[in-house]
Amino acid sequence: MRCKRCGNTDPSYFYKGHKGYYCRKCIRFSRILLEEEILPLDYEIAQGSEVYRFDYPLTEPQLEASRNCVEFLKHGDVLLYCVCGAGKTEIAVQSISEYLRRGLKVAYAISRREVVIELTKRFEKIFSKAKVTGVYGGHHDELTGDLIVCTCHQLYRYYQTFDLLILDEADAFPLKGNETLMNISVNACKGRVVYSTATVDSTLRKVINRRPFRTVELYVRPSFKPLAVPRVFYLPKYPALLVLYLLLRKIDGQCIVFTTSKKDCEVFYRIFSRFFSCTYVYADLPERKRHIEDFRDKKYRFIFATTVLERGITIKNVSVIILNFARIFDQSNLIQMLGRVGRGTDSVAGDAYVISDHSDPEIRKTLKYLKKANSYL
Amino acid sequence: MRCIYCDKEIGKITFTSLFLEEDSLCPDCRRMLPIKRKCITLDDLKVESFYEYEGMFKSLLLQYKECCDEALKDVFLYGLKDYIRIRYAGYALLFVPSSQKKKQIRGFDHLELIFEDIKLPKAKGLRMKEDLIQEGKNAVERSRMRQNYVYEGELQKKVLIVDDVLTTGSSMIGAYEAIKGKTRHVRALSLANKNYHFPFKNKV
Repeated sequence: MRCKRCGNTDPSYFYKGHKGYYCRKCIRFSRILLEEEILPLDYEIAQGSEVYRFDYPLTEPQLEASRNCVEFLKHGDVLLYCVCGAGKTEIAVQSISEYLRRGLKVAYAISRREVVIELTKRFEKIFSKAKVTGVYGGHHDELTGDLIVCTCHQLYRYYQTFDLLILDEADAFPLKGNETLMNISVNACKGRVVYSTATVDSTLRKVINRRPFRTVELYVRPSFKPLAVPRVFYLPKYPALLVLYLLLRKIDGQCIVFTTSKKDCEVFYRIFSRFFSCTYVYADLPERKRHIEDFRDKKYRFIFATTVLERGITIKNVSVIILNFARIFDQSNLIQMLGRVGRGTDSVAGDAYVISDHSDPEIRKTLKYLKKANSYL
Repeated sequence: MRCIYCDKEIGKITFTSLFLEEDSLCPDCRRMLPIKRKCITLDDLKVESFYEYEGMFKSLLLQYKECCDEALKDVFLYGLKDYIRIRYAGYALLFVPSSQKKKQIRGFDHLELIFEDIKLPKAKGLRMKEDLIQEGKNAVERSRMRQNYVYEGELQKKVLIVDDVLTTGSSMIGAYEAIKGKTRHVRALSLANKNYHFPFKNKV
């Protein structure tokens, strides 16, 4: 027995109901019977939708990478392996345009709902003549369009539909370590897949290795500035707080402090709000949107955050302090967090610090990666 | 054995577990599904409910009803089956029907499946006049359900009306109106209630 959608073969996950056997591993995406035929979604691409235009010119390395991407897609899947803030979206645009010209179906999948809303607007500007449809939780009445931007969880609606699927942040939550969702995402596509990421973990490696693929590498940001290499302190938890206080006194400009848990985030906010103007944010907080907006508007100098602020956020001239207690963060987390520093074309590079209470191989790996990426400049 | 909801491995047999009913949820998930027994009076109908419609119960019921996951049928009445059998001995169960459209998609009647094991007589013959779906509608639209039920056939002296969630009570009262006069004693049972919807006084 094998589930068509999630590829599960473990017999203990199949349950016999009134209509026959069904897979319980992917049950939260609606029931799929074992004998059921799943039909791919059929729709037409409007002509002339491939025209695209950027408001700003791309740099030479970006153009070369996007040419490579188009070329490699003729032969197999592509792994777009770029540093943070290198402009992965812009590189994929030429390939999307190429596929739309041929009248083939394209989707751009990304993990978070807020990012989908933002990207839909951005793609509407870039592809001015195409109809861009955003599909996310609570907004899925319309499933067709020329270009589909959706969250990974919505990809179960499209079985074997797309000719080109771009999986952005393929190493991030919720795809990270979740093979069921990964299989559902890849099964939504009958043609080529572009995995775009800054780090490759074991689950992703396993999925990619099933089919032939080639790698497009880009280690240079459009601003041609080096990635921030952090200063690392190894300290126990309470002395670390003292050092954090001293650091926050020294840093000028805004700063994001990443903590390992919600509880830490709130406790540190309570302590440090006595000394500095600061705020906090984590995923379950009802007013998190307002807190982030306030921080963007420079009402506060410091923000205490969990991994919610790890991806897809651009704040100019910001510094980063990572409090890595009990080895919670791994390499991809650390690289993404450090990638918040020095984004945007005209921003001044901020400082980066890591405070850890254990000696950690993940930190050593991160430092090695950053040095390698900077050597390409 | 694996937990049916979170896929976590359930621990070994303990001494106390020998005396208890076998549970398909792991202890952590079970703790998030506490029984809050409540008696609510709608007009002159006494309704008993076991859970609050929120959090864990909500996600379990949605997975059971909307994703058609039949494996969850034993989760809701864990540790309550004997109570219902003894408390309502002599009653006949009468399930409030769901719309035919949904029933066809699911392939099973969700309430009948939950109460399958309870050895009480089951009355059949309650049906809807129109095929209405209550999901996502407001109280005014829901109140149409009050005249929407008909009962055809004989009934026992004592009847227990069974529903899954009590929101405004419209469908429960609709079923009550349909069988009024045909039987002597009516009580009602719902798995969960949305308690903030009730302006009436509640007895515990």
